[in-house]
Amino acid sequence: MTVTTAATKDAQRAAIDESGWGARFKFFQPHNPAFWVYVIGVGAGAIGMIKYFGPALGGTYRLAVTSGIVFFGIYLIPWLIFLRRQNRYTAQPGKLLATGFVWGAVAATFWIALPANTALLEIWTKLLGPSGASTWGAGFSAPIDEEWSKGLGLILLIALAPRLVRSAYDGFIIGAFIGLGFQVSEDVLYAYNNATSSFGVGQLESSLFILALRGFAGITSHALFSAVFCAGVMWILGRAPGERRIGRGVAACLAAMFLHFAWDDASGLFAWSNFLIVVGPYLILMPLAIGTLLVVRRLASAKERAWMRELLAPEVEAGVIDPPLLDAVSGLHKDRRHYRKVVHSRHRARHLVESAGDLAQEIAAAGGQETERVAHARAEVLRLRGT
Amino acid sequence: MTTGIPGWVPVEHRWFGLDRRQMKPAVFVLVVALLLIYGWPALNAIVPWDNPTRAGDVLNLGDGATAVPPVGWQLEDGTLVSDRTGVSPTSDNVKLVKAGTTIQMTGASFNGTAAQFLDQVIRSEDPEADISAAPATFTTASGLVGVVRSASGSGGDELLAAFKMSKSDPAAAPALLVEVAAVPGEFQQVSREIDTFLRSITSGVNE
Repeated sequence: MTVTTAATKDAQRAAIDESGWGARFKFFQPHNPAFWVYVIGVGAGAIGMIKYFGPALGGTYRLAVTSGIVFFGIYLIPWLIFLRRQNRYTAQPGKLLATGFVWGAVAATFWIALPANTALLEIWTKLLGPSGASTWGAGFSAPIDEEWSKGLGLILLIALAPRLVRSAYDGFIIGAFIGLGFQVSEDVLYAYNNATSSFGVGQLESSLFILALRGFAGITSHALFSAVFCAGVMWILGRAPGERRIGRGVAACLAAMFLHFAWDDASGLFAWSNFLIVVGPYLILMPLAIGTLLVVRRLASAKERAWMRELLAPEVEAGVIDPPLLDAVSGLHKDRRHYRKVVHSRHRARHLVESAGDLAQEIAAAGGQETERVAHARAEVLRLRGT
Repeated sequence: MTTGIPGWVPVEHRWFGLDRRQMKPAVFVLVVALLLIYGWPALNAIVPWDNPTRAGDVLNLGDGATAVPPVGWQLEDGTLVSDRTGVSPTSDNVKLVKAGTTIQMTGASFNGTAAQFLDQVIRSEDPEADISAAPATFTTASGLVGVVRSASGSGGDELLAAFKMSKSDPAAAPALLVEVAAVPGEFQQVSREIDTFLRSITSGVNE
């Protein structure tokens, strides 16, 4: 039996309502025009993909494409595990994230970015000459075409799940999944292109080379750029109360585009030093990109952390969750690290934080009502706390 | 007010069965996507090429290898020696265009002879291609020996030339493919320029 004040219970209901946590995502929405735009985009992208890879799969480059798909399919696994861990606070349903991933992998790449980049690169070649375009063309094209094509996926998901996609952190996580889809799709395309540049000689070695090259560079690639860009889009749109920060949103979008530009045109930016051309992307741009990501993640999570605190406040009042556990489940990495010290066990701290997250999830799914599942989740927290 | 049933669109918000409230984001996405997909190609179509090769221009093929392009062709891809930019001989690309004729040069890494390289190219690009003429030896002015094959059809004429970019150790040297494609009736008009261009290819200063 829990004892809570009316004020905390009202705040809890308000947090559930504002965050949309617990709402279900249904993909098939024939009444929703955004659904049809999504279907058109992914359909046209799939046709583009078949046209691009189809001849290769039936001919000389079959090994390059299939090995690329297998290698980058395996490469995807640790990324999904990592991003699942980031999908905390008012976590997004897997089906919604998968919808974003498919947009990034199929529509953003093969429907929009591929034809747009081809044309824009040629425009830069005409304006800057072949040499200038080879130095600057990629960085002047990809941040525009690719960040926008991925960002459009977020706009569609907002229209498909308006209750679920509310905060900047929602944009951050969904953006990461859209970007990951784009990244893996592009990696397979690079494996194929690299094999064609050697006219089909050593296709397996070629795919392994691309896996090593793009696998490491993938740390600061599309998933990161899109997470920052889409968090910026959410700040501009301001879909959660008090979260409209147009200046911050524009800055985040521009930061993502600048990082993308700098990564693509590192040879031009560091042209004055042969040493930096080689190591600059890893010693300067990679830390800069990761630093930007961490700052954006911290800022973006503020609203979600506040919701989490409000959602669990009645449980704190009732003594089910103690304040250090509330700090850990609604806090940052340093708060969770601190909690490990408080309970003197990494293992136990992880279990307690996860069980508190489960309780929050069940309360949200039940709309703040008492259900059997809420009672069970609460009992689990108490069991793990040993009270 | 909505009925509260998921998926139920109140009648005042319907437009041909669609929910008008979600029309704005859907139209925004469609318009921006179409602008990116068709806007850039449309702009590209009205921006003309203006990068003609001039007397004295020398193409940089990497590792000191060069070629002298015919004067007055549009250089759409490739680096000139005067650009002072690094070029890898195994990934360089050159594209020269004049009217209905295109010259495409592609560097690649390949272990073997120029003839084996050309066979690999034909096998990988289009094994069914109607390349009727037998391979012929072609020697450049600097003494670099390559292999040439040609093809003719209703779509026009094509010439493929393959070189290994070293006279002393060709087997391990980077390979260079030159593909010339011309619309019907065009090849004869530029054949002398193409012959001079192919003969100008050098394998590098260290050779």
